[in-house]
Amino acid sequence: MTTRIPITILSGYLGAGKTTIINRLLSGDHGRRVAVLVNDFGAVNIDASLIETEDDNTISLTNGCVCCSIGDDLGAALDAQAARHIPPENILLEASGVAEPKRIATHVGFWPGFELDALIVAADAETVRNRANDKFVGQLVRSQIRHADIIALTKTDLVGPEAARGVKAWLRNQVPNARIFEAPNGTLPVALAFGADRASNALSGPVEPAPHSHLRTVMCVPGTGLSRAGLARAIEALPSSVHRVKGFFRDLETGRMTLLQCVGRRHEFLEAPTDTETVLVLIGVGSDTEMNGAMDLLTASDALEADPKSTFAARISD
Amino acid sequence: MSQMTVYTARNIRTMNPSLPEATVVAVKDGRIIEVGTLESMAPWLEAHDHVVDNRFKDHILMPGFVDPHLHPTIGSMLLPCHWVTAMEWQLPDRVSPAIKTHEGFMDRLAEIERSLSDPREILISWGYHKIWHGDVYRKQLNRISDSRPIFVCQRSFHEIVANDAGIDWMEPARDELERHEQVDLETGRFFETGMFLALKSLKRIMMDPERFAQGMAQMKKLMHRGGETTVGDMAFPLTDEAFEWEMLSDNFGSDDAPFRIAITPRGINDMASYGGRTADELKRVNELEERSTDKLRFTNSIKLFADGGFNAELMQLLPPGYIDGHHGEWMMAPEVFEDLARLYWNAGKQIHVHCTGDLGVELALSVLEKLQAERPRFNHRFTIEHLGVSTPEQVRRIKDHGGIVSAAVYYVHELGEAYWHGSIGFERASQMSRMGTLERLGVMTGFHSDFLVSPPQPLKLAWVAVNRIAESGAVLGERERTSLDFAMRAITIDAAYVLNMENEIGSIRAGKLADFTVLEADPWETPLEDLKDIPIWGTVFEGRPFPIK
Repeated sequence: MTTRIPITILSGYLGAGKTTIINRLLSGDHGRRVAVLVNDFGAVNIDASLIETEDDNTISLTNGCVCCSIGDDLGAALDAQAARHIPPENILLEASGVAEPKRIATHVGFWPGFELDALIVAADAETVRNRANDKFVGQLVRSQIRHADIIALTKTDLVGPEAARGVKAWLRNQVPNARIFEAPNGTLPVALAFGADRASNALSGPVEPAPHSHLRTVMCVPGTGLSRAGLARAIEALPSSVHRVKGFFRDLETGRMTLLQCVGRRHEFLEAPTDTETVLVLIGVGSDTEMNGAMDLLTASDALEADPKSTFAARISD
Repeated sequence: MSQMTVYTARNIRTMNPSLPEATVVAVKDGRIIEVGTLESMAPWLEAHDHVVDNRFKDHILMPGFVDPHLHPTIGSMLLPCHWVTAMEWQLPDRVSPAIKTHEGFMDRLAEIERSLSDPREILISWGYHKIWHGDVYRKQLNRISDSRPIFVCQRSFHEIVANDAGIDWMEPARDELERHEQVDLETGRFFETGMFLALKSLKRIMMDPERFAQGMAQMKKLMHRGGETTVGDMAFPLTDEAFEWEMLSDNFGSDDAPFRIAITPRGINDMASYGGRTADELKRVNELEERSTDKLRFTNSIKLFADGGFNAELMQLLPPGYIDGHHGEWMMAPEVFEDLARLYWNAGKQIHVHCTGDLGVELALSVLEKLQAERPRFNHRFTIEHLGVSTPEQVRRIKDHGGIVSAAVYYVHELGEAYWHGSIGFERASQMSRMGTLERLGVMTGFHSDFLVSPPQPLKLAWVAVNRIAESGAVLGERERTSLDFAMRAITIDAAYVLNMENEIGSIRAGKLADFTVLEADPWETPLEDLKDIPIWGTVFEGRPFPIK
């Protein structure tokens, strides 16, 4: 099992709504110890009653989160987080509006002691299509969208449902199978930003609900081992309403406990401790039918064994 | 009041078109009293105590050379490294010869390693470039030394190659290096973002104050050897304002440093953290300007950035772009650039914009056009810095809107052929640094070294402009060559104009500061292809001779 601190990158061009997302995430009552690294410290705007301490480049919040300015040395900013008395469970890193997300993902995802969790790109429903055709930044904006694991579509409330549908269709045209999450008021649920809680290895604790959002979490304990190749195929076939998959399973080929992490269209298999309990968790925005169908697709990856499928399934949605 | 000194010379090229040549210049209290002949200035000589100083009787005096854009901080960090370079660099304590083969590179590096007396010294070399030196690998470096850490830094910091001793010396554990997509331990290459891992350890050495001070001492010698008396620090600070200010004050503030630095603050404090609080930025710049002294002076200017580095091939290009289809980058978001340009435009400041590609120039011009429509200004000196790739029509627009250019003319010499073959093709590569168009259209132009992009040797820059001799020796883009007059103005009076200091420096006339560059030969009597080789005796700074030792 890795002990590296997972990083979620929040990218997106200027005005895409990154700062609103950060402000909401910082002041949210989500029980996750998150460090948020921002470029523009001055834009962070949090209710004073939530602030525990504050100095020139760090704000500590009563909910256990901290917000720090990146400064001009990204690596040093990460090292400072790793060196904290109690390092954060997750890091949310705000990328500069003109950064190529792939480059920053490589930079921080391989920084000693850290790993990339997700690359979330905020896109503004009002302006993203114009920006994508802009003479100066069109290429950059299209590249940001293309490299997103998850697109956080902001300001959908300002354009109305029909226009929002239009933007989504356009995004899917740009990026087949794009994972889109509507975040009209900048709410990015922690389960979407950071995945299922890492604190419990087995993920067996209560799965947090995501209030005020249409995010659903579906959990299942497969009754058998699963095949990596089968899972990989199933992941390819998942509907675009499934944003994240995380789970521990017994690998049919090797017999070893294995961790599956999947964000958007990207997934990886890692070795897991032998005493981990088997479980699969899906996070997405599909209907109940869609989410359960997706789970069935994954748990059917037991090609080497004949026997029973899921023995238990829990579903939590708002 | 001190005595007047009367310098006689074989010829004085004043760069003042009203009196272009003279043989005598009288100087007092650091300023020029009169230029002419002993006969013409008789009234001054009869009225004031003076000494006639004939030490320059066989020399040519020119106005002190002006290099309007370099970075003393970057120079100070890298000069203490061991240079192995594809172009020849004349350094204060050594010459880094032009080495254009892989074998040559390895031999030179091995020679440097053998010459090191301290077995604990970490060998950091700078100047490596794949185009000329081919691939350099860990195992090859191991053969040079298996005990001394060796780091080979690519010329524009694209990559760093290390030997095993170097890899072991670095902070991160091997498994952290192994998993990195842009670190290849087999070859020892740390490239792109992987390079930051190597730099993390190397920075401790390169930013060591004692080493940095040595670098700055070398920087001063190098500028002096180039005949420079005024330089522009074109983006202050690089990273650490307090440290850099202290270093500049200590090294350039004293009387024995024959230079003045025109400091242009960054128009944005932190590239990534700009939050639209323009008032804060303006306040910061105005506060910096209060520090202005004669030798470290602020000139009501700021620096902004459009597209990425030219040597790094990150300039933003209009179609058809790059041969390999990659894209450049923006150093600032175009909206942020416009926002800040408007702020400083309305505050009456001179705006310098780093532009390397034609799309970068396009952005700068489109913003300049907007600002002119909103609030017209005369004599604003909006300056395009570098002008790597551009179109002739853009140069016309620079002129139409009252813009000026501070040009990185050396690009065509070092990179013209490399970019023809490997980056953008012949047509645009042969017209990079299009100085001929600037001259034809009458755009005010200074030449800069942007050291370490090119050597701080204005005569060498002028040599590139008039000859356009590329690195193979062939002429590249003959229609973009300039006249000698244009080139010599671009390193004196027109470069002074770029720094908003033409009333004080840049030509030799009564009332100006007595800064001279003393040459052993007259550029107007030297074959153009030999211009760069004219020996420099030294300089006179505010009336005081400073020979090159």
